[in-house]
Amino acid sequence: MSEKWGICHIYASYNNILVTLTDLTGAETIAKCTGGMVVKAAKDEASPFAAMRAGEVIAEKAREKGMTNIHIKVRAPGGNGPSSPGPGAQGVIRSLSRAGLRIGRIEDVTPVPHDGTKPKGGKRGRRV
Amino acid sequence: MVYRFKIPQDRIGVMIGKQGEVLKILEERGKVRIEVESGSGEVTIFDEDSTDTYLSYRMRDVLKAIGRGFSPENALRLLEDEMYYEEYDIRDHVGRSGKRIQQVRSRLIGTDGKTRRLIEELTDCMLSIKGNTVAIIGDLEGLKVATKAVTMILSGSEHSTVYTFMERKRKDLKISRWGF
Repeated sequence: MSEKWGICHIYASYNNILVTLTDLTGAETIAKCTGGMVVKAAKDEASPFAAMRAGEVIAEKAREKGMTNIHIKVRAPGGNGPSSPGPGAQGVIRSLSRAGLRIGRIEDVTPVPHDGTKPKGGKRGRRV
Repeated sequence: MVYRFKIPQDRIGVMIGKQGEVLKILEERGKVRIEVESGSGEVTIFDEDSTDTYLSYRMRDVLKAIGRGFSPENALRLLEDEMYYEEYDIRDHVGRSGKRIQQVRSRLIGTDGKTRRLIEELTDCMLSIKGNTVAIIGDLEGLKVATKAVTMILSGSEHSTVYTFMERKRKDLKISRWGF
């Protein structure tokens, strides 16, 4: 087999960013990296800079394993939380494609509620 | 990969342009095929023929930005490196009352657009306020400051407080952009 495919799962929340590289079934983890693993300050964990670094780490591992093509699944927290995966997720995708990996499909897998639970904050909203 | 979403009726015309010329430019720049259903406002992006899937992924943001009130020229700047697009819902901060949303919207824009202009100039971002949303296009640092400024106004800060905040942040922006 000349081409090896994998799936890169990206979970970008406000507080951190998790990148997991798996095989096509999604059951076997090949590499993982998080924002917290590449930067020291807690406030930078979700920053696009951390995302780029995490993407580079993943790309490195992918190359080691001979994986040249990847699909991407991005997700934001979803549910009743934020539902668009902001700059962090884009940072990862960018650094993956810069590292020379061929990117197949990019899919948004943010869980969308079919009207689910009540957002936090109570009836009268967040009171500062 | 196929992306499908809706944009408001009144922005469909802008996206297509006279005799479809804007749509043609968009398709060329993004190397995708775009289908528009003008009745419902449904937009579909097809990228079967494209090899650069990341480009078509960003194309989705471009079209969304047009739907949120940006001109096609400005929205296409999203294809540049280090440009990001964010959308914020005014209702998350002030509730659902139409009157209140209108008040806050005018606070964001300011007299003769003063507030919006200042946010745009001091952070080098682009702002679009339409309906229930505020959309921002900008680079990383600028986006961060602009977002903070917008949230401050949305949560009731006085304008002068926000201006001072942005002035203070301007120094940091300079450092991170040009390194001095």
